[in-house]
Amino acid sequence: MSGSVLRTLADPGSISCESLTYSYPGAVEPALSGVTFEVRAGEYVGVVGPNGGGKSTLLRLLNGLLVADSGIVRIAGRDPTAEPFEVRRRVGMLFQNPENGLVAPFVEDDVAFGMENLGVPHEEMHVRVREAIRAVGLSGYERREPHTLSGGEKQRVALAGLLALEPEILLLDEPTSMLDAAGRRDVMDRMRGVRGEKTILHVTHHLGELLDADRVLVLNGGKLVADVSPERLVLDADLLTGNRLVLPPLSRLATGLGLAATKQRTPEELAQEIRESIRKRTAAR
Amino acid sequence: MRLELRDIRHIYSPGAPFEIEALRGVSLAVEPGEVLGILGGTGSGKSTLVQHMNLLLEPTSGDVLVDGADAATLKKSELRRRVGLVFQFPEAALFAPTVAEDVAFAPRRLGLDEDEVERRVTESLKLLGAEHLKDRSPFALSGGEQRRVAIAGVLAMGPEVLVLDEPASGLDPAAREDLLRLIRTLHNTGTSVVLVSHDTDEVAEVADRICVLEKGEVRAIGSPSEVFYTNPEFAPATVQAVAALGEAAWNAGRPVRFDETLRALAQLMEG
Amino acid sequence: MNRSFGQFYPVASALHTLDPRAKILATALLVLGLFLVDSVAGLALVAATVMALVAASHVPPVTFLRTLRPVAFIVVLTVLFQILFSREGETLFAWGILEVHAGGLRLGLFLGIRILLLVSAAALLTATTAPLALSDGLEDLLSPLKKLRFPAHEVAMMMSIALRFIPTLQEETQKITKAQAARGADFSEGGPLSRVRATIPILIPLTVGAFRRADDLAEAMESRGYRGGEGRTRYRELRFRPRDAIALAVTALVLAGAALL
Repeated sequence: MSGSVLRTLADPGSISCESLTYSYPGAVEPALSGVTFEVRAGEYVGVVGPNGGGKSTLLRLLNGLLVADSGIVRIAGRDPTAEPFEVRRRVGMLFQNPENGLVAPFVEDDVAFGMENLGVPHEEMHVRVREAIRAVGLSGYERREPHTLSGGEKQRVALAGLLALEPEILLLDEPTSMLDAAGRRDVMDRMRGVRGEKTILHVTHHLGELLDADRVLVLNGGKLVADVSPERLVLDADLLTGNRLVLPPLSRLATGLGLAATKQRTPEELAQEIRESIRKRTAAR
Repeated sequence: MRLELRDIRHIYSPGAPFEIEALRGVSLAVEPGEVLGILGGTGSGKSTLVQHMNLLLEPTSGDVLVDGADAATLKKSELRRRVGLVFQFPEAALFAPTVAEDVAFAPRRLGLDEDEVERRVTESLKLLGAEHLKDRSPFALSGGEQRRVAIAGVLAMGPEVLVLDEPASGLDPAAREDLLRLIRTLHNTGTSVVLVSHDTDEVAEVADRICVLEKGEVRAIGSPSEVFYTNPEFAPATVQAVAALGEAAWNAGRPVRFDETLRALAQLMEG
Repeated sequence: MNRSFGQFYPVASALHTLDPRAKILATALLVLGLFLVDSVAGLALVAATVMALVAASHVPPVTFLRTLRPVAFIVVLTVLFQILFSREGETLFAWGILEVHAGGLRLGLFLGIRILLLVSAAALLTATTAPLALSDGLEDLLSPLKKLRFPAHEVAMMMSIALRFIPTLQEETQKITKAQAARGADFSEGGPLSRVRATIPILIPLTVGAFRRADDLAEAMESRGYRGGEGRTRYRELRFRPRDAIALAVTALVLAGAALL
């Protein structure tokens, strides 16, 4: 192993995979095959690709929910197969279905669930629960029952539950795919707000959520087919169509008009750029 | 058929301390053969509204009319055959041992003979690109495949109006595209489609007319360019960009679909 | 307002603030102790106490009467049975083969009143104790049984998860029913056999869905460090206070007094 891998192995916020391979029981094809990559502490890495390509499988191998058939996984400096409990202390995972991630009959009890599992003392729990609920913008929701919440609110409660454990790493498994646009916005805004120095691995179909990521991994058919910057990704038409990736319409419009694609811009900003471009063209005549 | 909702009000738990007025006098019509897009987010009342279209819910006041006649006078089974409703996450209602059996459920309940039932099952599955799943168990399919089977199950009734509540919810972009293509195909066969969605991009791509629903009321209704350019706050981001161009937008026409928008803006920039 | 466990009536009262363990124990005492009470005076004392507690709970008496309604039939049946078929004591009334004896009358009425008091006590418990508190209280009281391999923690966790998901499952049932109705299913036609068959398109998806949910939930719980009751602390702590001890003591005294009367 190279020196850089050894360095990252020790880092609590890092993730490292080498030749990771996994097949679901009874499956003909491996769900993941020979996947190798490294994520440094604090990086925001997107994971994209067609459904069934191995993205969710990857996340589950990282936090020990699944055990790899072969290959090496190190997350937060540990092997999730050997020390799942220690890994889950430091790695929080947000799931796709907002309904099935909430275990307790009240919001505050759910946020406390993880801390209860880790044996956090009673007095400390109350403070941290309140803090976490405030961090996701749900102060006042403590005694609400989960089934009365909207999808976006449920995901924020789940997020609060993760944040209360102060993890170094967050694994996000399509957390917004079952939400409407408003819910998606709420959850992603909060995510950005509380991100801090955490390492994030974010599986999503909404490329718009990854425009300011550090890197994007593309998984297709269980293989890692690309590890690129968002800028490279949006400009590579073959990479996009080959992996059934679709940019948000405003970005596609920008690319189609020859303007920078990865800028997070509002429609007004795009209009301004178009006006500028027209003015320049008219001036050049 | 022409399906009309006239001044529909719906109150949940009337008289109770927690009563909710989900619909406050909604009037709209689904013209024969059109694709009507209903834009609404959570709390807009859209799910309550669609359930009035086949009288799964009855209005607290107001009328539901089918070709001018009161829908309440029709046999429920007849109404529900003619107006097919596909709920959000419809795969939650799959239950039969095989896909073919599940899709056959509705046509069988119509009392059709087995040959006709089989024909309809095959046709609907083909329309959804799911013919190869015929003998599989619905529970062994992927989410996207299940979604197709569920929609096929409603199409097999041969409805004149197909109402889809957030049909692309949870699907990946490729599956979403397939769905929009399906809507266009249905449109070409003369079926009316009501697409209820919070996603403006989706609705803009296929709708002939658009109705914006907010807090139980119709905020705007008309052709997509009318609705979006008069109320840009309801428009997709791409249309908002064109609207933001101000007078320069006039030269771009008032494009709504993505391709039109790209073409119009490209032309504008070429000069 | 979640009315699925419609028994719980959230209102401020002294009874509502009592530790659930004290209330559970008191109810248990009452249930056992009632059978030792064998005099009119004794029953009257217990009945008066229960009524006083109902008043103290600030729960509208109508709610209690609603709880008693389903039991009313059983009570009447039991009382009648005793009255008509017991041959104890002097004959009060005879008509052909039907005989009503004083002993039977006494037995019947006593049994009837006991049942009513028991159900009222149980209703008092559930009306003044939130479901989650009840399950916490039960877990605590049963935890000594862990030494005998009784899965007290697991039982409490199951109850808590049930409480969490029952409203969700109810919504799901409604949704599935509507979806099938939209496909022409009719749940009101036909004889009992067809009605039962008509529920298959609801029960199957509901069950399959519930198992999927359970899988998802298990994943989420494991990811959050759940590994059974080992080393777990509790967010909600139950604290036994003087007033709880007093409540228990009072209950015990009332019952002892009633039994001796």
